[in-house]
Amino acid sequence: MDVDTDVTSGGGTARPWPIVDINPEALAALESYKKRDPSKVVVRFKAVGNAPIMKQNFYKITASNRFQAVIQFLRKELGWKAGDPLVPHTPPRFASPQLVLNKPQFTYINLAFSPAPDDTVSNLFKSFCTDGHLIVNYSTTAAWG
Amino acid sequence: MSQYGTTRGPPQAAKDRTTDYHTALFRRLSWEGTVPLEIRVDPNELPANSDRGLACYFVQAPRVSYLPLLMPEIRRFLMDVVFDEAASKSLKEEDWWFEIDDGTLLKWHWPIGLIYDNHTILTTIRPGPSLATTSTTPLRLILHLASPPTDKLLLAANAEACKQAFMGQLKEADFIRWGNTKRMTGLRKADQDGLWEGIKEHNFEEYWRVASKVTPTTTANRPQSPGPPPSSVSMHGRPPSADTSAPPERDGAYNVRSVPVRLYLPDGPVIQDLVPPLLEDGSPHTLAHFLNTHAPLLFPPQPPAPPPSRTNPNPRPPSHQELAYPLVQGILAPLDSEMAWLGACLAGADGWVNVCVGISRK
Repeated sequence: MDVDTDVTSGGGTARPWPIVDINPEALAALESYKKRDPSKVVVRFKAVGNAPIMKQNFYKITASNRFQAVIQFLRKELGWKAGDPLVPHTPPRFASPQLVLNKPQFTYINLAFSPAPDDTVSNLFKSFCTDGHLIVNYSTTAAWG
Repeated sequence: MSQYGTTRGPPQAAKDRTTDYHTALFRRLSWEGTVPLEIRVDPNELPANSDRGLACYFVQAPRVSYLPLLMPEIRRFLMDVVFDEAASKSLKEEDWWFEIDDGTLLKWHWPIGLIYDNHTILTTIRPGPSLATTSTTPLRLILHLASPPTDKLLLAANAEACKQAFMGQLKEADFIRWGNTKRMTGLRKADQDGLWEGIKEHNFEEYWRVASKVTPTTTANRPQSPGPPPSSVSMHGRPPSADTSAPPERDGAYNVRSVPVRLYLPDGPVIQDLVPPLLEDGSPHTLAHFLNTHAPLLFPPQPPAPPPSRTNPNPRPPSHQELAYPLVQGILAPLDSEMAWLGACLAGADGWVNVCVGISRK
């Protein structure tokens, strides 16, 4: 009877497992899937309720970014620029600057749900894009929580 | 009567909306699935006067549960057995966080079963025995008691934040299936809370009392070819004219727009795309087709079987070396599984089918 001792050796042994038994073709495939998608997709921000409105609300965002990066970008756009009066040439970006104090805390896709922060823009775009845009709603209060 | 594959229940009257035996069975099996965890407090962070010999906690955790829901019992163990009173008072649970012993941070909002499977497939590309072949080994977690890397954990370490993320996933799954979240938002507040309570208490009946209102049914009415498949006409909406013949199974698994599925490859990435239940030709979208579409280098198309001959009346396709294999709920899933069926029977409690891909060893 043929017994392949390599495969049938019991657990609990300290024998180092050689990495060579992993198929190089499979590893090469994984490497190619890990490459980041450099393409960009259009994200359209829409304010909900009394959230401050952005003058520019279309942005091209790298598809491999996580949604968390989109949230951070949004916060920065809403809070940082308007709160910087030392740059007079920057056009006002908000309809009413005092509302900037209400930092957006809630973000939704298609007025429907909050995605997981670690999902990628690319995945969300593939599943939920509308007319070539990924629509991200932001609100200062929980809207569809 | 049409053919029923092994994954489908016995034929039932079309009006019978009760869950068929096989569907209930697989939902129950998914729900009852558990994974072994070993939780060890980082020895460098153990407070003074701790009982170092006991600073390790073993638990068989439900796959559908979440780490924040394990915290109370872990805390109780540590307070009772390991820490002294002074340490118990000074430690703040919101500062606690987990990593795997290889340094991978554990996210609060991932179901425990997904954390386990995602780590299992990672071990298939690393030296050493793969977790897939040594399933009795617990997943070794290190519990840190201070300085959580909040930017990477993404969520606060509490059950409320986890609940919000869970509800978000359910709504996203709802949107993927039907193009809106009416089923989820139509639930009363008490019912929405009931879903989470079901997870918290690990109570199958409580969870499914509500979940059955938002999860597709598997009873009858899978469109049989020939004939126009109702949902392959358009991804964005079904023309009303498609619903002419049989009374439509409004919530049927094969009538969804798309099945909520995520594909996890070892060490990333996570791939999500629209997965219609039926292909253009009306045939069911199988796991083999899904994998071949999204990871063709790992799941190349199968060569066809040679034509039958007198000596070999039932030829099989030529054998080839398998590069990778799919795990769903920790189970090696047959490649002819239908995605719609997986969505109705083997989805996690958050509505998502998680397909984790392991790499075959030679």
